[in-house]
Amino acid sequence: MKRLSLLILTFFLFSCQTLPVINAPSSSTERKSFTCPSPFLKEKYRLVHAIETRMAGNTRSAIIGVTLADPSTRSISCAIITAEGMALFEAESGPRGIKVNRALPPFDSENFAKNMIEDIKLIFFAPDGKFQNRGYLPDGTTVCRYLEDNGDWIDVIENKSAGTEIKRYSSSGVLKRHINFNRKAKTVYRSIELQAYETFDYSLLMTLIEAQSVKTIRRKH
Amino acid sequence: MLRHTHRKLYILVCIFAGVFLIFGKISYAGENNFEKLRRESAKIKTLQADFVQKKFMKILARPLVSEGRFYYAAPDSFRWEYFKPLRSIVISYKNTTRRYIYSDEKMTEDKTGGAQAMKIVLNDVAGWMNGKFDQNPSFKATVKEGPLTKITLTPVETSMAGMIEKIEITLSPKAGTVKTVKIFEGASNLTQIDFNNVKINEVINSSVFQDVQ
Repeated sequence: MKRLSLLILTFFLFSCQTLPVINAPSSSTERKSFTCPSPFLKEKYRLVHAIETRMAGNTRSAIIGVTLADPSTRSISCAIITAEGMALFEAESGPRGIKVNRALPPFDSENFAKNMIEDIKLIFFAPDGKFQNRGYLPDGTTVCRYLEDNGDWIDVIENKSAGTEIKRYSSSGVLKRHINFNRKAKTVYRSIELQAYETFDYSLLMTLIEAQSVKTIRRKH
Repeated sequence: MLRHTHRKLYILVCIFAGVFLIFGKISYAGENNFEKLRRESAKIKTLQADFVQKKFMKILARPLVSEGRFYYAAPDSFRWEYFKPLRSIVISYKNTTRRYIYSDEKMTEDKTGGAQAMKIVLNDVAGWMNGKFDQNPSFKATVKEGPLTKITLTPVETSMAGMIEKIEITLSPKAGTVKTVKIFEGASNLTQIDFNNVKINEVINSSVFQDVQ
């Protein structure tokens, strides 16, 4: 009975987590000069990353990830390839939804494509939810907060020492994703770490192999 | 999970097998005489070569290029190493197979069970190394002669459907040297491996098959 009570208490404690407090800029000058961090793509890009997967701090495997992302249409094509060159997963996402073109185990689960596309959007696209708040976290870092249609919260944070960060929280304030763009890297997508808080926590360490701007040719009629 | 990994690595093994095949005096294959090929393959004691792998996909504007080196010593030791863009090594020595990836500035063993799966498929590799590529029930092997001899391996197992369409092994006119291995995974999805600096029956230190550094 005691165990059950403890379990219920723990459940309520977790479900009552709150988002970090945002302190508004104190002066009008600060408010005017305040700019939201934006590590997001401004144009269509093709990016190839080496991706290390880690669980419990140990490297489990390494794959190659290809992302073709267009922020103007919020469309994405992506692929996962082994070092040996075998394509394990290919999918695309656009206005008509997600289309999986190839999915070999273990990438063939029902939610994998959806979660992967969501993570890619979180990394490369500016939040499409409603802007909610801006200011400073208690540690002094700059933050802008957005509310997604599904109730999730997204904080985009500029940390002078650690670099740019993105945090996705559930509607109840539970941290689900933490993305860190390594400040030491020359370009923002050179080194990205994604920490996922799920039943089994995992992290992805993405190291850029190549990036290429994709110029879309628009035909005149 | 292991079964799925097994299937994936099966394809990888096909690549290895393709290499092993070709480095034999494969000109005999042009005579459609697999028995002669088996006899000639038995003469290979060691083999080493550089390779350049190009991955073609619809999502890639230009192919993703990987480079590496391959070593083999009879009867069953090999090392398949990628230098870039993603450093990784598969080594097999005395019935033990391991896969390593580069992480935190050192080679780290892949813990996903892939190496164990490799062990399972090594029986097939051994068969291919002996030139028995026409005896594996999973693949149908055909030979087409021409300016360049081409061997095609087509999977006959339904479990391979959707994973791999065929493997084409092209030989250079000069007997005993490989030109290209192509693995067709589907529409617009192709892996091409070109080999060069091939050395046959030169001494390879056994540490090559044991040490990852």
